[in-house]
Amino acid sequence: MATTETFGLSKPTAVPAMRRRFGLHRDARTAYLFLTPLFVLVLGLILYPFLQAVRLSFTDKMVGYPERFVGFQNYAYLLESDTFRRVIQNTAIFTIGSVGLKLITGVATALVLSSVTFWRGFFRGLSLLPWITSTVIIALTWRWMFDAFPGRGFFNSVLLDMGVLKSPIGFMGSPEGAMMAVIIANWWRGFPFFGISVLAALQAVPREYYEAASVDGATGWRRFWDITVPSIRHVLIITTLLSTIWTMNDFNIVYVMTRGGPGIATHVFATFSYDTAFNQLRWGRGVAVSILLVPVLVLIIIVLSRYLLREEDK
Amino acid sequence: MATPAATRRRPVVTPRVVLISLAMALLVLVILVPFWWIANMSFKSYQQIQFATSIYIPNPFTLENYTGLWNATGFPVWFRNSIVTATAVTLITLVISALSAYAIARIRFPGRAAMASTVLILYLVPPALMFIPLYRLLNTLGATDSLAALVLAYPTFTVPFCTWLLIGFFKTTPMELEEAALVDGATRWQAFTRIILPLVIPGLAASAIFAFTLSWNEFLYALVMIQDESAMTVPVGLNLLIYGDVFDWGRLMSASVITTLPVVILYMFVVRWMVQGLTAGAVKG
Repeated sequence: MATTETFGLSKPTAVPAMRRRFGLHRDARTAYLFLTPLFVLVLGLILYPFLQAVRLSFTDKMVGYPERFVGFQNYAYLLESDTFRRVIQNTAIFTIGSVGLKLITGVATALVLSSVTFWRGFFRGLSLLPWITSTVIIALTWRWMFDAFPGRGFFNSVLLDMGVLKSPIGFMGSPEGAMMAVIIANWWRGFPFFGISVLAALQAVPREYYEAASVDGATGWRRFWDITVPSIRHVLIITTLLSTIWTMNDFNIVYVMTRGGPGIATHVFATFSYDTAFNQLRWGRGVAVSILLVPVLVLIIIVLSRYLLREEDK
Repeated sequence: MATPAATRRRPVVTPRVVLISLAMALLVLVILVPFWWIANMSFKSYQQIQFATSIYIPNPFTLENYTGLWNATGFPVWFRNSIVTATAVTLITLVISALSAYAIARIRFPGRAAMASTVLILYLVPPALMFIPLYRLLNTLGATDSLAALVLAYPTFTVPFCTWLLIGFFKTTPMELEEAALVDGATRWQAFTRIILPLVIPGLAASAIFAFTLSWNEFLYALVMIQDESAMTVPVGLNLLIYGDVFDWGRLMSASVITTLPVVILYMFVVRWMVQGLTAGAVKG
């Protein structure tokens, strides 16, 4: 309703028809003037470097050597390399594991937060804490939580102290343990975003729906699937897609916690791209790594922007 | 089964209440345990950590990590660099985003819809895609190894996000006030600065906090662009405290506490706007 009013649809006024329809002035010159800083930023610091990156990915540029055009050689090399295949697999496991956990626990968090009747603001603020904390610090913290040394690692200290474990577990030393650790750290950082977004959607569901369902004798479980889920579907899709983009491109948590190790067990696109460009100094190939993720990104962005822009029109 | 109205009048311990309380307790634990662990470790001596002498609370408390961090590492410089960078980026972001969002939300011009989509798409472009090309560009310009590199690089992600957020705020302010001002002969600029901007102060505050936090926490660009210790921000500097496999844990954790506190304090004042901003801009409810 608020949006309709903003666009001047509900109140008949004396302004000309065109203006009443949109409530906006035609004033292209002012608009472009206002947008000039944005244009400069986008062209100079986003579009130009990106096009340079695409060009670079078709060269064999190494630091200290002149670049030569090599066509699709970098891409071909990557797609045939076992290491890169492992990177794709790692990224998929990391993304699906982490986003899946965030989705489930995020909805649970929202349901709990919406049912609590006291200290609501406090609990809401508290549950946002992980989301505002620096990812580097989160990564260091969880790296330490999983440390093999009792006295340093939280899990080993507590489990040994309580007598659950006989000897400490070296979580970070095994490929599976390290992957689990980075997934948990990423999940912990991301689930509050799901929780708070879903909470906002929950609060927009009219109370009468639930009351009517209760009168009809619907159980809590039925009410959840028949009323709650359809009402928050939109937000679930949007947050899941947003989180997928962010998780797929995560660098900080993996880099700080494992540097992609042990071996290459936790290398994901961003850390592998960084490693190729800044440690092996193969710029062309390093850029090609990140560009290979672009088709997936484009696909998600197209779907996501449809949803977000549709929301915007409502 | 008690109806909601009855429950409100006469609070009774139903299975539902127990379940919610347990779930809430679990949520609080999941969130607080890592923070408690950081704070706990930051007040322990090296020996206490190494020999696991006091696991749950430091006994005795020591401030040696904090004093060591402040006196024997580059932390004070990194902290200052982080503040300078985040403040500069926030100011630049606010100016560019407010102007752009106002134009997109309030003025009709050819290409308006395309601009809105562009802003959204730019908000979704991940830094992992941009860090190599941006590094090369800023290196050619001679900006790397100084805070200038970060002040130039960070708006590439803060501006699209804050513009997107502000478009939502501008759209929900009433048109009439501005129209009246324009009819009375005010220029666009006057209408913008005197009438509309004061109405979107919550949006500006939310944007400022987002921009500040995003810059404060940024790691990837800072890692590749800054090698010189005196120009490092906190997240990159912290990595200097990791020597190969040896972590200077006590100091790292005290640094984490000091770095997290300003952001947390900032948020305590604006949690309401935050939630509003998040849901109005990023995800509409």
